[in-house]
Amino acid sequence: MQRRNASLAGDFRRLASPLAAAFLSATVAAAESPASETTIQEKLEVCASCHGQNGNSTIEGIPSLAGQPEIFITTQLIYFREGLRQSKQMTPQADGLSDADIEAIAEHYSELTPVTIDRPIIRDLYERGRAIVRSMRCGTCHLPDYSGRAQMPRLAGQREDYLVLSMRAYLDETRGGPDTTMIGILHGLSGLDIRALAHFLSLQTAQ
Amino acid sequence: MEDRTTKLFRTGFAALAAALFVTTWTDGAFAQKKNVPGWAQGRPAELENSPLAPHPSNLKVTPADKIPVDKILVPPGFKVELWAHGMPGARMMTRGDKGTIFVGTRSIGRVYAITDKGGERTHQIITKGHVQPNGVTFKNGSLYVAAINKVLRFDGIEDALSNVPNPVDMTDAFKLPPETHHGWKFLSFGPDNKLYIPVGAPCNNCDIDKNVHGNIRRYNSDGSGMEIVARGVRNSVGFDFHPETGELWFTDNDRDWMSENGPHCELNRVSTIGADFGFPYCHANGIIDPDLGKPGACENVQMPAALLGAHTAPLGMRFYTGNMFPPEYKNAIFIARRGSWNRTIKVGFDVVVATLNSDGQSAAPSPFMSGFLDTVNNSFWGRPVDVMQMPDGSLLVSDEQNGAIYRVSYQG
Repeated sequence: MQRRNASLAGDFRRLASPLAAAFLSATVAAAESPASETTIQEKLEVCASCHGQNGNSTIEGIPSLAGQPEIFITTQLIYFREGLRQSKQMTPQADGLSDADIEAIAEHYSELTPVTIDRPIIRDLYERGRAIVRSMRCGTCHLPDYSGRAQMPRLAGQREDYLVLSMRAYLDETRGGPDTTMIGILHGLSGLDIRALAHFLSLQTAQ
Repeated sequence: MEDRTTKLFRTGFAALAAALFVTTWTDGAFAQKKNVPGWAQGRPAELENSPLAPHPSNLKVTPADKIPVDKILVPPGFKVELWAHGMPGARMMTRGDKGTIFVGTRSIGRVYAITDKGGERTHQIITKGHVQPNGVTFKNGSLYVAAINKVLRFDGIEDALSNVPNPVDMTDAFKLPPETHHGWKFLSFGPDNKLYIPVGAPCNNCDIDKNVHGNIRRYNSDGSGMEIVARGVRNSVGFDFHPETGELWFTDNDRDWMSENGPHCELNRVSTIGADFGFPYCHANGIIDPDLGKPGACENVQMPAALLGAHTAPLGMRFYTGNMFPPEYKNAIFIARRGSWNRTIKVGFDVVVATLNSDGQSAAPSPFMSGFLDTVNNSFWGRPVDVMQMPDGSLLVSDEQNGAIYRVSYQG
């Protein structure tokens, strides 16, 4: 099972060469719900249409998945599939995915290389963010370089707009489901704190 | 040994902490927020960079051929077989009058029903999308499910497995607190026909209102008549009633981050309704909490019937009343220990059996079912969470890590 998934993901990686990228972007027209009959390559194409061909999103509000821990992606996809995490886009996408599909998708994205978007630093915001992550010890769980581990996501190099959205969702308690850890941790942070955290973390070099 | 382990634990992390703290605390001009995850609350400053954290749940199906049943050890004459599998997150079990086994979960939010068709088991999801529907119990044809503060009742469920009816939502009647941390429930009806429900403390170690958190309650089955049966209980996720005396016995998980070797988790007996078991001021067999306890904190606290090891996470427990196992197991208590996270050298991940002493007030635990923990590599492959006796006297054991249920039988 493991080996089969690995080779399928490998097939996709070969497909995802520069030549194939043009082919894929041309064929992925609409992100339809991946029916259980589709192959894993077809499912990954659907993912890529929003999350980027190399797992680095170029669309506002859509997270990058490249280099996310495998367990994190698996857990979140299962939360979506089970209806425990609600999202207009992702809940229907995850509906009907098998555990094997989810394993293959998680393995695929965990092996892609995250790319930090090069943007100008807003110095005050950046320093505020740095002070907050140190004070709150985000690195204890997300690791000192914020690359994430196990069920805890990579934050380094994630899209700034997405980090703001996800932290606001925790603050509003519209995200949490079976895991309310982040709701408790972020409780009481101001809008400026959230923006500062997102700015700082998004500019960390994705390793 | 104990001293050396503790010393290694402290000095190892102190060195690591020293290396990291220097840079960490230099610029504190901005917010100094101290919110931490519930499991990390109470962690001493010198361990703030400890890598110890709860193990992630496995939410995926584990195929039968990936479950190494042959690694499980039981005493001579006993046999273990894989009885059901393919149910990620399988935890607490209850049996319907017609033989259906219902299984609760935490993270994956499902409740399963297993039907035994003459040697072959099939399972289905009867309800999903709940927040930690861990508590399940069966009474008068109805399945009761508790998911944090939600209480649901599925009437006539065993006759409606192909078309599961909407449950009766009794949440408002039970008025359980909404906190999720240590808010997952165990459910059981007592010999008094009351529904017993634990409410954990929403923290590792903190001051609580003992009338709200850190207790075990009983209710009439409709949610009325709430009464607190035991107080000062940090987090109980398993209990049963003595087959002869009817007394409530329960497991309790003691606090983290105090040391690797203590305080011990507990097996307790409720001798007086409303008795205080000490949390958060007095732990285990009379250890005063270093942060919250004052001299005399253990006075008037009921001491455990048995100590079950530090960080071992004893959860589901049942008295054995069957005739299949040898006579020495009669009225002994089987206890599933899910295993530690807050300890460098892992411990637990097994089922122990506690034999009651002749006074009926204390008990002596012994190993019963192990092999889930690889002590050489300090790794585990299975996590026993609940035990349940079957009508033939065999014992079912749920394994959350593999979504599996094992059957232990005695063949002599």
